[in-house]
Amino acid sequence: MNATPLLSGRGLTKEYPMGAERVHALCGVDIDVYPGDFLALRGPSGSGKTTLINLLGLLDVPDQGTLRLDGRDTATLSENERADTRRDRFGFVFQSFNLIPVLTAAENVAYPMLLKPQPRRPSATAPGVALPPASMQSWRAALASIPSAKPEPPGDMQARAGELLAAVGLAGKEHVRPDLLSGGQRQRVAIARALANHPAVIFADEPTASLDSRTADTILDLMKQLNKERGVAFVLSTHDPRVVERAARVIALHDGAIEMEAA
Amino acid sequence: MNRLTVAWRNVTRNRRRSLITGGIVAFGFVSFALAGGFMAQSFDGLRLSAIRSGLGHVQFADARAFEKSEGTTLEFGIRRADAALAVLRADRDAEVVMPRLEFYGLVSTGGTSIPFGGTGVDPQAEARGSDIPKTVQDGQWLQADARAVVIGRGLAKLLNARVGDDLTLLVTTPDGTLNAVDATVGGIADILIRELSERYLALPLPLAQELLAAPDTVSRFSLILHDGANESAAAVRLGSALRQAGVDLGARLWRDLAVFYQQVRVLYIGIFGFMGTVLVVIVFLSTFNATLMSVTERTREIGTLRALGARSRRIATGFVLEGALLGLASAIGGALLSLLITLIVNLAEIHMPPPPGMAKGIVIHVQVIPVVYLLAALAMIVTLAMASFLPARRAARAPIVESLAHV
Repeated sequence: MNATPLLSGRGLTKEYPMGAERVHALCGVDIDVYPGDFLALRGPSGSGKTTLINLLGLLDVPDQGTLRLDGRDTATLSENERADTRRDRFGFVFQSFNLIPVLTAAENVAYPMLLKPQPRRPSATAPGVALPPASMQSWRAALASIPSAKPEPPGDMQARAGELLAAVGLAGKEHVRPDLLSGGQRQRVAIARALANHPAVIFADEPTASLDSRTADTILDLMKQLNKERGVAFVLSTHDPRVVERAARVIALHDGAIEMEAA
Repeated sequence: MNRLTVAWRNVTRNRRRSLITGGIVAFGFVSFALAGGFMAQSFDGLRLSAIRSGLGHVQFADARAFEKSEGTTLEFGIRRADAALAVLRADRDAEVVMPRLEFYGLVSTGGTSIPFGGTGVDPQAEARGSDIPKTVQDGQWLQADARAVVIGRGLAKLLNARVGDDLTLLVTTPDGTLNAVDATVGGIADILIRELSERYLALPLPLAQELLAAPDTVSRFSLILHDGANESAAAVRLGSALRQAGVDLGARLWRDLAVFYQQVRVLYIGIFGFMGTVLVVIVFLSTFNATLMSVTERTREIGTLRALGARSRRIATGFVLEGALLGLASAIGGALLSLLITLIVNLAEIHMPPPPGMAKGIVIHVQVIPVVYLLAALAMIVTLAMASFLPARRAARAPIVESLAHV
């Protein structure tokens, strides 16, 4: 892989307190994630897979080491900037799906889109602010040029949520609440949700652990297909050999250190 | 889907808990609304009672009379009473003008002499503008041209006097000489305050002026104004008109003179304010516990939302919105319940025992005060929002990985 890494971790170290002692969850791990990657992190329980995913996904901060996103040191990001980065650049798929129970499948998918800031209406009377362009097209172009302020209009959100659900094979399930879906269907909704804001990377922590083997195969095939078709990178932590079989790259972790890396 | 919809769905997520929390809030609202309505009714009753006890809406007297007691009889008397009376009666807002001549003296039945506080009054004006004539149970109220007096039941008891008995009234006149007149007991008034009842003696103004050898003199004028009249404006206007007529008098509004009303008002506000505070604290603690449970149960969900990119502030405000929505829904329920209870209480005409110093009990009547309802709703909404905010803010700031690992 000779492309510029999307994410680049060097010397990533993380410790957790456990009673009076401190557990070394990660000990100086070096890792790169490339655009369009399909990377599996494997290893036994306690090897540091989840900790590494948490650090790469900006859910946690390393005690030592640096993590760069597009070349920028993530240590310089404020808490809100980290949240915005997760929203705009990353997607997450959890072992136990973590869908919001009060939302329908489509609403769950649309939720990350809602988190985008709403654009401010330009004021015609404010000094120094140009009047909105006359045509809708040029107005949209002006809106699109505002950095990190590209919310989907409500209608577009619904349409996109429907499209994503269809892409994961859940057309017709838009208005169903998560408690009425099977485990596999819930994980599909979670994948669709992860895709909502056109992420560069989707982090999936043990995505097949709560699924039967047939469903797990289907989910993995879906992820692989999305990886190929949409170019979105996947970083998966797993015990599951089927995940490893499908991965383009595999990093084996043991006691918080990289034991082996294979393409 | 918007934030309000999501918040409402979360409110109805655990229906039993929301119902219990809402019930507590509705109970708090009902307590506020009923206590406020009862308080308003009490203030209204006391205000009317104070005004109709002879104070009137506005009083005019020598300015010194409002500051200190007279050293000698009629030291602060109004000498050109008829001229002043004509000016006051001519005003568009004046419904009843009650001239008063106040003095002290001794009343005797022959064997017993008792000090009294006398008031010379215009019997007709007093019958229209004061409730005291209505308290005369034995005999009758004063007649303008008669030499009959009305005494309090307490004074009648001390004198062992009955209607029709002869009395001698003995006073010191403004020039310092003693004077006496004979009168009869025309009526006995049931004055509710015992100390006043034992000193009360009312007589027609001409008889009082004759007794004090002070023609065309009164101590003060009490005015009952028409409904809706502006008391302050009337006081200023009438004061000016009196000055133009050559009578310079000070004016006081009833609320400045009604010491009992003010004391009761302060006492009620203190009691209900304390009860209200306790109520808010109880509602806060009860709802805080429920919100804490809800937030704790949703810790993992909070972690998920933060992983998806929701900022801590958005999550905390989401919970506040849920609290405020539950508060609003409960307040609406509480308002409906309050209206129902108010209707039942008012129809039932529940009698309360007489308050201290009073002879008659009162009927509970609760008013519906929109401002109280609004304030109660606001208090409940803010209380619930606050109770939601504190645990939610804490949970929204917890490390994401800890929240996601929460079981």
